[in-house]
Amino acid sequence: MELTGAQRIEAPREAVWRALNDPDILRQCIPGCQELAQDSATAFTARVVLKIGPVKASFSGAVTLSDLDPPRRYRITGEGQGGVAGFAKGGADVWLEPEADGATLLTYAAQAMVGGKIAQLGARLIDSTSRKLAGEFFSAFAQIVAPQPIPAPPLPSEAAP
Amino acid sequence: MFAFTYHRPDTVTAAVDLLRAHEEAKPLAGGQTLIATLKQRLAAPSDLVDLSGLPALRAITLADGRLIIGAIARHADVEASPTVRESLPALAALAGLIGDPAVRNRGTLGGSIANNDPSADYPAACLALAATIVTDRREIAAADFFTGLFETALEPDEIVVQVSFPLGGEGAYEKFRNPASRYAMAGVFVWRGDASLGETGVRVAVTGAGQGGVFRWSEAEAALAGAFNPAALESLGLPADEMIADIHGGGAYRAHLVREMARRAVARLMAAAA
Repeated sequence: MELTGAQRIEAPREAVWRALNDPDILRQCIPGCQELAQDSATAFTARVVLKIGPVKASFSGAVTLSDLDPPRRYRITGEGQGGVAGFAKGGADVWLEPEADGATLLTYAAQAMVGGKIAQLGARLIDSTSRKLAGEFFSAFAQIVAPQPIPAPPLPSEAAP
Repeated sequence: MFAFTYHRPDTVTAAVDLLRAHEEAKPLAGGQTLIATLKQRLAAPSDLVDLSGLPALRAITLADGRLIIGAIARHADVEASPTVRESLPALAALAGLIGDPAVRNRGTLGGSIANNDPSADYPAACLALAATIVTDRREIAAADFFTGLFETALEPDEIVVQVSFPLGGEGAYEKFRNPASRYAMAGVFVWRGDASLGETGVRVAVTGAGQGGVFRWSEAEAALAGAFNPAALESLGLPADEMIADIHGGGAYRAHLVREMARRAVARLMAAAA
């Protein structure tokens, strides 16, 4: 399953790129992230609490940045073990395009995969949940990098049809 | 299941105090979602506050032109209640379509709406009937209560006490069930105001299909306000990429199901009026 979306960010591309590589900002944007420790310029260790309805599972794992092409694109990948709950893997390719007025258009294509018990119980919800989490990540990101975001093509996550 | 401390308070105030006192406490109503989750060890609350010791919350009454159902009324109670069957027959019928007999004998109205599963039935009824959700501290319009996938306006220590449904029209609910789970693949509640009761207008609420959970289908409402018949929905469509897609069906299929369920609900209402 792949989700795509776009978010206009009221900040120049260089600033958006720096933020995408800043562990402190990533920690604030990853939904449910409790800890994000930097192991190297492109590797982090994270603890994330996933809360969806009645389920509340804590995942520990690694966040990796790859395919770096500053300041145009990179890929962010996360992989976590949730103990008895199962495992979760997710990644997003992120592109930054400067807009004529100095703002930046961020587009992403994200993939998510879960396995184990959480997948068996939540099969009917994985797609909706992934959209919601990706939407939360990028809207939080826009909010932190540029305090008044104007979302470009509406994200499908929360919007009622 | 992980260990937890069990409480069974006998007043709403005591229940709220317990939820406040323990940060990882969860209220327990019928347990049809929560207990299954605990058995799978997918949640580990420190404390469970069982609301079944509050029998007043199970009452079903009529007052001032409204049907008032206590939050821990079971689905089977609502289905069988003569009061509900007479005043809001579509709601009794909806309760009878939830899950299976085991679920209906344990699951509660308050538990269902507080969980706000995107495929649950009651949220559609609450939205279409413009219900008011009464909690221990305030009243919340259904339109403001359901805020997204599994999310509501409730605070972590807030308890639904009752749901109050205005009686000013007729409703019909049509549901396409997943044959295994009996969750709605698409469920549509259509409500039509009764002019003799001072109500006009049409409301259409959809569950089981939207990515963000239950929603009002405003295009269908506008079309039906113009001409209340199934044909009015013929040319309408919902965006497939905003529908739930899972192993049971894709977005386009769900969008189709929603229109079909809406058409059936309208046809049912027309047949009832004739």
